[in-house]
Amino acid sequence: MPKRKGLVINDRQLDLCDDLLQKLKEVSGSTFLALISTSGQPITTASDEYHPETLSLASLAASSFAATQQLARILDENEFTLLFHEGRALNLHVTQVTEQVLLIVTFGRETQVGKVRLYTQRAVEVLRQIFEVDEDEETPAMDADFESSAGRAIDDLFQDA
Amino acid sequence: MPLINFAAREINYKIVYYGCGLCGKTTNIQFIHRKINPDARGKLVSIATEEERTLYFDFLPLTLGKVKGMQTRFHLYTVPGQSYYNASRKLVLQGVDGIIFVADSQITRLDENVESYLNLWDNLLGQGDDLSKLAFVIQMNKRDLTETFSVEDLNELLNHTDSPVVPASAVTGEGVFETLKIVCKQVIAKTA
Repeated sequence: MPKRKGLVINDRQLDLCDDLLQKLKEVSGSTFLALISTSGQPITTASDEYHPETLSLASLAASSFAATQQLARILDENEFTLLFHEGRALNLHVTQVTEQVLLIVTFGRETQVGKVRLYTQRAVEVLRQIFEVDEDEETPAMDADFESSAGRAIDDLFQDA
Repeated sequence: MPLINFAAREINYKIVYYGCGLCGKTTNIQFIHRKINPDARGKLVSIATEEERTLYFDFLPLTLGKVKGMQTRFHLYTVPGQSYYNASRKLVLQGVDGIIFVADSQITRLDENVESYLNLWDNLLGQGDDLSKLAFVIQMNKRDLTETFSVEDLNELLNHTDSPVVPASAVTGEGVFETLKIVCKQVIAKTA
C-alpha cells in the first residue's frame, strides 16, 4: 500500500491541465471533463455549457473507481484502469492518470466511445507527465497566519449553527 | 495530506466519521446538513440500503470560505459501520486528514465499539498512514440515553491516544458542532 502523501497543484500544472482538457474536449467531442484526486476532491474542470454538481460527482466517481479496483483484486486481475457507464443520453468515462489523480469525461450521442477512448488515452499520457514531476515533492505547509485565520472562520461558521 | 491547489487558490480537507453500526455517524452529518448555513454546504449524498443503513458512505461538503485568499473546504464522509463492510471502509479512508470516532455510549454496545476502534487502527496502519499527521477526536454519542458508560470509563477503554473527547447526542445536536470544530481546527494545525 502506498504511503500517504499530499497533492499540491501549482500554477504551471493547472495551466497545462486546463489547456489539455480544453483540447481533449474539442477533439473528442465530449461535454464535460474533470480532473479529480483519488480521494474524491476536484482539481479542475473543462465545460462550456454542461455543469454537473462537481463536488458530489468527484466524490462518487473516486469512490466508484476505488471500488472497481478492489473488484479487480478480488477477481485476480491486476487492475481495471478505467470505469465506463453507458446511459441513454450521456456516458461517463473515468480513467486513472496517476496514483493520486483521475480523469472524468462525459459525452453524449454526438461522438463515439472509441474516439473518446483513443484521445483520452493520449491525453492521459501527457497528464501523467505533468503530475509525476511533482507528486514526489513534499507538501508545503500552510503558514501560521492561515491557521489562526482559519480557526476564526471555523468559530464563525459553527457559532450560529 | 489535503489537496492544495495553489493555482486555483483552493484547499480541501477530508474528514471521516468512523464507528460501529448505528452509533450515529449519519445522524451527525444529517444534523450538520440541517443546521448549518445553507450557503456553506453542498449537497448531502447518501449511499444507503432500503432500510436507510449506510451501504457505502454519506458525503457532505462544507465551505469555510476564503481564508488568506484560499477557498477552504471540508469534505465530510461517514463509513458503513457494520463489520462486514470493511472493504468499503478502507476505500473511504483513502486520503483522510481527520477522523471523528463516534462511540456508542450504551453499555450493550461495548464490544462493537472496541471492535470498530481496533478496526480503524488496523485500516489506517494498513494504508501506511502517518498517524501523527492525522487529526483525531472521539465523540461519546447517545449521552441522552440511560444505561450508558460514564465518559471517564469510555475514555479509559477507547482513548489510548489521549485525543480530545466530546460527549454528545447527535439526535438532539448536543456536541455535534463542537466535535466538528475541534477536528477541523486540528486538520489545519496538522498542515501548518
